[in-house]
Amino acid sequence: MDAPALLSLRDISKHFGRLAVLRGLDLDLRAGEIVGLIGANGAGKSTLLSIIAGLMPPSRGQRVFAGSEGVGLDERARFAVVSHTAQTYPRLTALENLELFAKLRAQAGCHSEPLLPTLDKLGLGYAAQRQAGTFSRGMLQRLALARALLGKPEMLLLDEPFTALDRPGRTLLASVLASERDRGAAILLISHDLEALVSVADRVVLLEQGVIAGAVPRAPDNDTFGPRVRELAGRMPAVRAEAGA
Amino acid sequence: MSVAIAGPVGAPVTRSDRVTTLLGMVALRQAWLLAVNDLRQEARDLELILTSSFFSLVVLIMLGMSFSALGVSSQPLAVPGMLWLSVAFVGALTLGRIFTREREFDTLRALLVAPVERVSIYLAKAFVTLVILLGCSLITVLGLTLLFPAAQPFAQRPMATAALVLMGCTAYAGVGTLFAAGLASSSGKNVLLSVILYPLTMPSLLFALVATRSLLEGHESFTTYLGQLAATNVLAFVVGAWLFEPVLVGVPQKRRGTARAARRRR
Repeated sequence: MDAPALLSLRDISKHFGRLAVLRGLDLDLRAGEIVGLIGANGAGKSTLLSIIAGLMPPSRGQRVFAGSEGVGLDERARFAVVSHTAQTYPRLTALENLELFAKLRAQAGCHSEPLLPTLDKLGLGYAAQRQAGTFSRGMLQRLALARALLGKPEMLLLDEPFTALDRPGRTLLASVLASERDRGAAILLISHDLEALVSVADRVVLLEQGVIAGAVPRAPDNDTFGPRVRELAGRMPAVRAEAGA
Repeated sequence: MSVAIAGPVGAPVTRSDRVTTLLGMVALRQAWLLAVNDLRQEARDLELILTSSFFSLVVLIMLGMSFSALGVSSQPLAVPGMLWLSVAFVGALTLGRIFTREREFDTLRALLVAPVERVSIYLAKAFVTLVILLGCSLITVLGLTLLFPAAQPFAQRPMATAALVLMGCTAYAGVGTLFAAGLASSSGKNVLLSVILYPLTMPSLLFALVATRSLLEGHESFTTYLGQLAATNVLAFVVGAWLFEPVLVGVPQKRRGTARAARRRR
């Protein structure tokens, strides 16, 4: 974990009127690392994701990705976001959905992976010519992930990616994330599902009332997080119920 | 940056790709891709086209029946109002729907985090709005020409009519798209669209109205009014393109907080 941070957040705060959602948050994300960010509803997870993705400016603080504070075309070509909504065009086929973004990337001078093999990788090759509007929620989630992987992103931001996935879908997602991490991508996984997070993350971070309340790295010897992560998550009622802590 | 220039699906970059990149045409080419994508989806469900066309037809029939008793000498005063009132109504309807698809499926956010020039989203939406407005205006102009003898100059001077309708609709689409985007990215308060839209599009609609009257009455001032309308268009698109990104993602409060935080740390 000595590599310099690919993403560095310093003293990030976000206020909506008088409501403080994030309050002086610091977080680093390194290449080849999966960080699981867990927090109860309203903890500020999605707001944090929006700030990292450049969809919302912070009220205060500094966000540096790959040495740059900007979120211009060059930066956006180097990261990808998978949201809790699939964000796909229902009237377009799966292939057309990917083709649109591949063409847009090409105009910005960015490489894209071949489309059909990317769909195959996510188990959607058989549905390439079907309109996305006919897909199940899990298939849409996989299509969104396929779109995110098109440009071999250096940083991957995922918001509740396990939602709506069945067991084989979760296994597939976990293996895709592991292979992206091995490729050198930095991955931020946001969820309130502790079981899903601990199965893939290298470090679990707890977001509580707008600040990082604690972090637990995966133990290198036994490849588990041990009881501390449940202890951490147990501080939040919503997570405690799901974690069975 | 480690990304390589490549064609749509990893194919080598073509000469024209390099030229357009060098000329800073990325936004225009991305806008074209997005507009074609929107039109392709529209062709599959015909949602906007059918709604707007039928609405234009209904407005035309109602106005035609209401003003059928007007004398020929009074018609040049009423026909421009009918044309641009119809454009204003259909425009508000179209602009309300143009971002609905994006909001419903959250695809606007997917575009905002992709390597897409944000101004290209604005240009694409304005272009699609313009295409629909032009289609509806065609129905209205044809209908007015059939219903009112004073509207015959529309048929006698088709190029002037086409230029007039194009200019008027372009200004409306340019201003309207900006505000429709702002409302779509906020809490989606579409009811505000008309409240904001009509006062802001009023200058271009008034120019279009006066230009139409001078066309129908055969005044020489028509070209002057057309020039003013063109200037309004340029202004609308410059301001729209300039404000689109801040309207969608806000303006970063640069450095202020960071400097304060650094002082606190010291």
